[in-house]
Amino acid sequence: MTISRRSFVLLSLCASAQQLVGQDQGIASRNIAAQPKPAPSGRPFNARFTDVAKEAGLHAPIIYGGVDSKKYILEANGCGCAFIDYDNDGWMDIFLLSGTRLEGDPPEATNRLYKNNRDGTFTDVTEKAGLKAVGWANGVCVGDYNNDGFDDIFCTYFGQNRLYRNNGNGTFTEMTREAGLLDSGPARWGAGCAFVDYNRDGHLDLFVSNYIRFSFEHAPVPGEKSTCNWKGVPVNCGPRGLPTGRHSLYRNNGDGTFTEVTKQAGIDAATESYGMTVVAADFDEDGWPDIFVACDSTPSLLFMNNHDGTFREEGVTRGVALSDDGMEQAGMGVGIGDYNLDGHLDLFKTHFVSDTSGLYRNDGKANFDEVTRAAKTGVETRFTSWGAGMVDLDNDGYPDVFFVTGSVYPEVEKTLPQYPYKTPRVLFRNLGNGTFEELESQAGEGIMAAHSSRGCAFGDFDNDGDLDILIVNMNEPPSLLRNDLQGKQNWLKIKLEGVKSNRSAIGARVIAHYGNKVQAQALVSQSSYYSCNDPRLHFGLGASTEAAVDIYWPSGLHERIQQISANQLVTIRESTGIVPNRGWKR
Amino acid sequence: MNANSVSSRIQLALLLLFLQSGILGQTPNERVQSITSALQDREFGKALQSVQSALQGSPNNPQLWMLQGLAYSGTGDSKSALGSYQHALKISPDYLPALEGAAQIEYEAGSKDAIPLLEHVLKIRPNDVTSHAMIAVLAEKNGDCATAVSHFSKSGPILDSQPEALQGYGVCLLELKQTDEAIQVFQQLMTSQPNDTRCRRALAAIQLAAGRPQDALTTLQPLLASDPDVSTMRLAAAVYEANKDTPNAVKILRDAIVKDPRQTALYADFAELAMDHQSFQTGVEMIDAGLKLQPGAAQLYVARGVLYVQLADYDKAGADFEKAEELDPKEGMSAAAQSMLAEEQNQSDPQRALATVRAKLAKQPQEAFLWYLQAAILSQNSAEPGSTEFQQGLDSAKRAVTLQPSLIAAHNVLAKYYFAAGQNELAVKECRIVLEKDPSDQSALYHLVIALRKTDSQGEIPDLLKRLAKARQEATRLEGERNRYKLVVSSSEPTK
Repeated sequence: MTISRRSFVLLSLCASAQQLVGQDQGIASRNIAAQPKPAPSGRPFNARFTDVAKEAGLHAPIIYGGVDSKKYILEANGCGCAFIDYDNDGWMDIFLLSGTRLEGDPPEATNRLYKNNRDGTFTDVTEKAGLKAVGWANGVCVGDYNNDGFDDIFCTYFGQNRLYRNNGNGTFTEMTREAGLLDSGPARWGAGCAFVDYNRDGHLDLFVSNYIRFSFEHAPVPGEKSTCNWKGVPVNCGPRGLPTGRHSLYRNNGDGTFTEVTKQAGIDAATESYGMTVVAADFDEDGWPDIFVACDSTPSLLFMNNHDGTFREEGVTRGVALSDDGMEQAGMGVGIGDYNLDGHLDLFKTHFVSDTSGLYRNDGKANFDEVTRAAKTGVETRFTSWGAGMVDLDNDGYPDVFFVTGSVYPEVEKTLPQYPYKTPRVLFRNLGNGTFEELESQAGEGIMAAHSSRGCAFGDFDNDGDLDILIVNMNEPPSLLRNDLQGKQNWLKIKLEGVKSNRSAIGARVIAHYGNKVQAQALVSQSSYYSCNDPRLHFGLGASTEAAVDIYWPSGLHERIQQISANQLVTIRESTGIVPNRGWKR
Repeated sequence: MNANSVSSRIQLALLLLFLQSGILGQTPNERVQSITSALQDREFGKALQSVQSALQGSPNNPQLWMLQGLAYSGTGDSKSALGSYQHALKISPDYLPALEGAAQIEYEAGSKDAIPLLEHVLKIRPNDVTSHAMIAVLAEKNGDCATAVSHFSKSGPILDSQPEALQGYGVCLLELKQTDEAIQVFQQLMTSQPNDTRCRRALAAIQLAAGRPQDALTTLQPLLASDPDVSTMRLAAAVYEANKDTPNAVKILRDAIVKDPRQTALYADFAELAMDHQSFQTGVEMIDAGLKLQPGAAQLYVARGVLYVQLADYDKAGADFEKAEELDPKEGMSAAAQSMLAEEQNQSDPQRALATVRAKLAKQPQEAFLWYLQAAILSQNSAEPGSTEFQQGLDSAKRAVTLQPSLIAAHNVLAKYYFAAGQNELAVKECRIVLEKDPSDQSALYHLVIALRKTDSQGEIPDLLKRLAKARQEATRLEGERNRYKLVVSSSEPTK
């Protein structure tokens, strides 16, 4: 129960007690106050983040719509990025999506693949890899859909989504048509995506969320409707007032082609949602992957797997669709992890300015309780928030929460300077008692720097045993936040290789045991905001020098590996155990 | 129900019954005939003398006691009449004429004691429409609409000639949210009394409440076509607004203000309209005009203060709330507003806001809204169940709903406390209270879903989910409607 300025209407109108939501705009926000910040813990935080994008050679700006104003929402939502080891050399390469401009394609506008030079720098290999593509790209998910040992790429677009097969020789071939993924009819707005082996046949299927049924022809312009104003300033319209998208599920036929099974699988029942980031994981721990879709200004969706090729949508009942007072929120990005170390996968969902991002605690049966305020992450409501992760940034054994921010309305700050377009990153360190503490300058200038960011991905690009962060900035070069972690905290990386399961092992759930702690992580092909993390699961171990891991493979197999020494990457092959790493060097 | 008509009908019935009955077999015919003749001739003193004489010989004859009751009634001595009927009933509890006589007296006195007597009559004569109607009227007056509606529905055509009873029926149907039936009743009233302005307004108001603003407008048209009074104009403004015709809503409200510029409620209505359309400054300017004519209207200061809060002009808002409190210290709304203002201004310092609320509570401990505010502010801290702060919040919410059971915001916050404490059954109960008052309250619907999820009674959830989805869509639609217009103040101000 929150009191807001609009709660005064209770007085003036003798209205019902219905919570008055800030729906006087295109995007849902509860317009609530942040909870008070507790006194600083005084505990040191050993991670420092420095933006090394420039030195690393990530110079090209990520083109996305107008710079000073945005006529359509299409220009505003931006895109994601991925850490992908496309050449299997053991070093994370970088894939960045891109948009374009209404008035025409600038020369810089293309998705980009950067090869890791293993010395802190990257080389743009986009053209050589065959990945040059111009358009309104949104989401990316990475996985080995043809089980050939090389990770492939799927990108969503306003327009036609694209599937790129990794040829294993440093190049990709677009296989959209051959794979049967060409859309017919009007242009769709593909948003989030996830490779997910929903029927456990060992082949990665594909789920695609759709945002809006958008057309330039019918889209209203700033100020034209009530959903085209924000705090009195005419802005791009939507998503409210625009027709919702339809989500799609494609079954992998095992021969490089896909068949759309949206209707058969029951996905088409969810028709009233503006779908965004997709996270597929086994939330109820029944061995079958479920699918969570963060939705903007509509209830988020949780498709529970019925084990027979169909799903049932239960987001509201399971407590992840709405705020804790039953209101819609602008779900954009999703972090997944085990913040309270109970062995279950929790969720963190980012929202619009003047609303808290939501932290949802899972009881292991996919029943979630929103614990935002109890966990003290409700102290931050200043920013529109996007890509997020529940990741251990200081290797103390407790997953922290990080997210990037940025307004969707560049024109607003001229009138309302208190709502800038570029805003800083947000870092909540996990205090280990179920609560978080927001850090600002303590975590380095990379956290404080203001950009209008969207997607972000977490990975260890320099293989130094800590998590770095790749960030999409609108109409700017990306940020690459190098983590310069001090101290002697230990860590462990797990790389999984499926055999009966899909080769990427996407959908696997891993529980690490270290000290007296347990921590669950899931191997997913998309999270954050339209982005894909380093597939090597990273566990901070704190003072523990070894760990045991339980692996719940997508095939249903459960394996336990004991006594793994800290501070190394181990590759675990399904049914085999630990095998030599491919190309791992530090 | 017209008491006189019922009374005469019952007395006639009694006499007829008496004359036709076989009771005379136990009493000397001549004496009884003399009593009934006296009653028929309205010679009540004479009848009384005769019956009292007869009672000396037959003190256990219920018929004679009933006749004495009739005679006393004729003299206007209702108390003695009632005593006589009651005596007759002691001797013969099912003696219908005495039951009806006693019920009539109790009914005319507006006493609840009529109800068991009438129910007794109905046991003997289940289809007695008069008894049904009388119970219904009494129940309606006592606020028991469920009973009232049940009996009104069995009253048959007797209601046709009883407009007040019919109106009570309609009001009760509305109370029970049987709006379609209520509309039918008021339409029936309108047919019988087409020129009754109050009745027409009531029908329009019900149609508006039932979500039929177009029907409401049709109902109001005859009134609007002539020279409507200000009450009709206020209602018409709401009807126009519900019909998405904001320009006409504004126009008629302005006309009403010009017609009766000293009626403060009109300015408050305008402020509400301005609030709905995010036209806060326009609302302020209209209230300014009202305050020029009614500088002592506390309600207008509260309304303007609320608008200032929307404009984030907290100093002016605070000044208005203080002025309202100064003008009407007993009016709790301004204290509540001041407390909310403190909360708004001290978002990062809830303790300060809490201190303000507590200071106000010390002065006005019976103000439910302040207890609700305290509970709501405390709930924002997500205190652990069992902690002092949690208990304070819980107690405050309980106090708020005790003081003002209709304050559904307080029920919602109480549900949240119960929910947090794992007391799901109690949370469910509070949610249901909210939903009874407002079936589309999203928070209550959602909390009910989540609470039921944690119980064994999950069968209700699918229907609740549908209701929640519908409520969300409706809320979004309404918000869109509200934002279609921005209000501006024209140069013409009321001058009277």
